[in-house]
Amino acid sequence: MSGGAAARGSVLAGLRVQLRVIGALTLRELGTRFGRDNLGYLWLFVEPALLGGAIGMVHHLSGHGLPGGLNVATFWVMGYIPYYLLRGIINRAPTAIVSNQSLLYHRNISVFDIILARDLLEGAAVGGAMLAFTLFFGMTAGQWPHAPEKMVIGMVLMLAFCHGVALLIAAGSIYTEVFDRVVHLCTYIALPATGAFFMVFWLPTDLQRSALWIPTVHIFEMIRDGEFGSQVPTHYNVGYVIAWIAGLNLLGMAAIRRGRHDLVI
Amino acid sequence: MIRITDLCKTYKTHLGPKTVLSGLSTEFRHGEKVGILGRNGAGKTTLLRLIAGVEGYTSGRIERRMSVSWPLGFAGAMHYSITGADNARFIARIYGKPIDWTVGFVEDFAELGEYFRLPVRTYSSGMMMRLGFALSLAVDFDCYLVDEVIAVGDSRFGERCRAALAERHARSTLLLVSHQAETVRAFCSSAAVLQDGRLTRYDDLDEAIAAYHAA
Repeated sequence: MSGGAAARGSVLAGLRVQLRVIGALTLRELGTRFGRDNLGYLWLFVEPALLGGAIGMVHHLSGHGLPGGLNVATFWVMGYIPYYLLRGIINRAPTAIVSNQSLLYHRNISVFDIILARDLLEGAAVGGAMLAFTLFFGMTAGQWPHAPEKMVIGMVLMLAFCHGVALLIAAGSIYTEVFDRVVHLCTYIALPATGAFFMVFWLPTDLQRSALWIPTVHIFEMIRDGEFGSQVPTHYNVGYVIAWIAGLNLLGMAAIRRGRHDLVI
Repeated sequence: MIRITDLCKTYKTHLGPKTVLSGLSTEFRHGEKVGILGRNGAGKTTLLRLIAGVEGYTSGRIERRMSVSWPLGFAGAMHYSITGADNARFIARIYGKPIDWTVGFVEDFAELGEYFRLPVRTYSSGMMMRLGFALSLAVDFDCYLVDEVIAVGDSRFGERCRAALAERHARSTLLLVSHQAETVRAFCSSAAVLQDGRLTRYDDLDEAIAAYHAA
């Protein structure tokens, strides 16, 4: 994938170059996105907090709780943060190549490296927000996760899934501007279906079956299993999600490879 | 050595496919200083990009047996929203060079003054070119691909570039594309003419320049 060394030397040398490149790209991305006079990272905390607070207030005023007696703010915030990761990665995918095009002058920087560096950074930032809110709910409401490792795995699966989608979108953006136009719309329209704000056991049986076709529904269920444990029933199949991730990433890498060949810089 | 065999490049445009290079074959050896002359639109910049590996080609083959720079010109290779110093750090990391040394070298060579600590997008084109050239010298490639750039810089900087390249004379290869015969005469020891998607090599500079003017 990356440059001269990979072609010439061993796979190991190539891998070393690629790791170096991804490290450098991540550092640079960190500087431009969350740099000195950029308060972008603040929104990572403010947005879920506002949403959780506002909806918690609505529930409080209307006197209705959530099925299973779940804590309202925890439910919404812990649904919103993984969705935030999905939206952040997918919405930014169409501009991933354009905004880094000048870096492709370096033969050992590949499109894959650029997108991976961006997504890893997004994952680390959103993961940080997730951790902060987990600690917050733990310390203020005594609501500690039942199985934190399931939440971590869930977030990693979400990252891998979105990365695959981002590769495909970025490859598509080489050929058409359509993705740039519709991707924001799509992530918003898809919001109710992603599973961010409902649980499978709330649905009637036949709708449950349909919902479980959607890979992200499994991921949200897994994160909630980690958060709430046996307090509510959860439905998910990790194998199904991994199959999706493998498929999307393989297709994505093939598409990027093809697209790089046709890319005019 | 760089060996190019039957290189073809066709771009898709709104007016249908546009062929820029059609069956170009040549070889550049270690230490050669070759000027590539061509009219505007002859495909000079495209050829450099393909040799550098910035863009893919339609058919043919390019073998690189030495390290090849990115095409040095006004655009590319840098990130515009970060400072010159941050670009130097980035390049050092990408190519595995010592970071402090690279930043120091680039600062000295590019002579950007306090602009070195300002975002690249605030630079003039001459400053950008100086930064790009300094960055590439810091990496120390075997072969430099230069896109008319030195000719456009002020003469003092042009002189320093020439000195820097001359210092590496024995080991570094230079491919310079230009539409000006004078630039090629100043930097190169042999020349080639790019016309109709093919490259004709001449061992003698004057012969090449005469052929270029005749074409």
